[in-house]
Amino acid sequence: MADRPNDLQYMKTHEWVRIEDDVATIGISDFAVDHLGDLVFVDLPDEGSDVEAGTAVAEVESVKAVGEVYTPVGGEVIEVNSDLADDQAALTTDPFGAGWLFKVKISGDPVDGLLDLAAYEAQLAAEASE
Amino acid sequence: MSIRKTPLHAAHAASGSRFVDFHGWEMPVQYEGILAEARRVRAHVGLFDLCHMGRLVISGPDREALIERVFSGRFAKLRHGRAKYGFLLNEDGYAIDDVLVYRDVDVVHMVINATGREADTAWVTKQCAAGGFDATVENVSDEQAMIALQGPASEHVLQTLCGTDLSAVRYYGFTTAPVCGHETLMARTGYTGEDGFELFFDPKHAMEVWAALEASGASLEIAPIGLGARDLLRLEAGMPLYGQELNLEIDPLEAGLGFGVDLSKEDTLGVPALRARKEAGLTRTAISLAQQGGRVPRPGCRVLKDGKPVGVVTSGGVSPTVERNIARALVDARAAEIGGTLGIEIRGRSHPMDVVAHPFYKRAK
Repeated sequence: MADRPNDLQYMKTHEWVRIEDDVATIGISDFAVDHLGDLVFVDLPDEGSDVEAGTAVAEVESVKAVGEVYTPVGGEVIEVNSDLADDQAALTTDPFGAGWLFKVKISGDPVDGLLDLAAYEAQLAAEASE
Repeated sequence: MSIRKTPLHAAHAASGSRFVDFHGWEMPVQYEGILAEARRVRAHVGLFDLCHMGRLVISGPDREALIERVFSGRFAKLRHGRAKYGFLLNEDGYAIDDVLVYRDVDVVHMVINATGREADTAWVTKQCAAGGFDATVENVSDEQAMIALQGPASEHVLQTLCGTDLSAVRYYGFTTAPVCGHETLMARTGYTGEDGFELFFDPKHAMEVWAALEASGASLEIAPIGLGARDLLRLEAGMPLYGQELNLEIDPLEAGLGFGVDLSKEDTLGVPALRARKEAGLTRTAISLAQQGGRVPRPGCRVLKDGKPVGVVTSGGVSPTVERNIARALVDARAAEIGGTLGIEIRGRSHPMDVVAHPFYKRAK
């Protein structure tokens, strides 16, 4: 299991977000990556497009399933991790670092209910014991 | 409906399996990962829990006449100790299920899909009564465990556990002999395109035999294989999945499975209907598609030619063996030229795929 950074916020749907000033970097957690299994494709939003907080804007596809990625913040997509187009390995080896998906210049409020690390890990533990 | 578990469930849980609800059965979908498991079967050997599948035993003086009535394949010339693939057809020529029949000396064994346990039993029993056959149809699904051993090292793994010479059992042949001291029917059959065996025996020995096979194959890289890899392996090898490639609306000829139908049979349910449709000309046909990288085609994706829908994907996935995305699709017969390119619609966009020869993978003999 990857060490999960405690300076990030998490969504219940397993995205993470790092907010620095007015720029948010978004990715998916090691749990989400592990759950999807062998990754084969990543579909990211277009740079320059506007996204709305709480909507599905990207997809991470594995051998067995397609995972939708929700953005916790709205605004303009200013950069996407285009290295992932040809090789998705960084998502597996470094989901909280080199495996980031896209960056958004934030406008408006983030979605309600973002979790800190302790709350996110409590949710994972609850799901595991179901 | 409460979920069912096979006699091997505890072994899967101990191996770190992830489970999925497969038609009411809690089955292992993957262990180490779908692609790694599929590669392991092609290169070494893998172990499959197939206890959820259905098994019938048909006995009595008219058992073979009953099989001739309900089974689409050429059964009359099948020798004792041999198995054959075919279909249980309804009167209209659509498959109720795809099955393997094993001609034994005093009974006929039939292996059916998990979904067919009740329906197939009811169908064959009904035809038995309707035809006045002196035969008995028994659903023995819960009285037999079924394990498959698939991959080039299969014979080696199994040989150490049984006294009979397995090299004498040919492809689609079977024999009965003790494995770990327990009476077992061993058939050289499977659903992966590799050499291998399927074992049928008393389920109370399931955990013991599973563990013995794991131990016997330990130095040969054996590992358990989940349904995810099984689905990929069968798709690579060109084998259909009932409910996807064929069903009550896609007949075996359209699905490219004519080898499982003896069209000359007069007294077999559904065969006259198929013969008539073939003479009239089939309007749909199954094709194989492949593409390097990109989105993965999934069942239900529309197939486009020049932007217009001409069919639908029935199975799709990522092939670790041919290292391409692959799919089977049912399309308008006029769209089916090998060497052409068709579009697969995934989330509103068309992705090109090549029409390629079938199957994707064939092992070197």
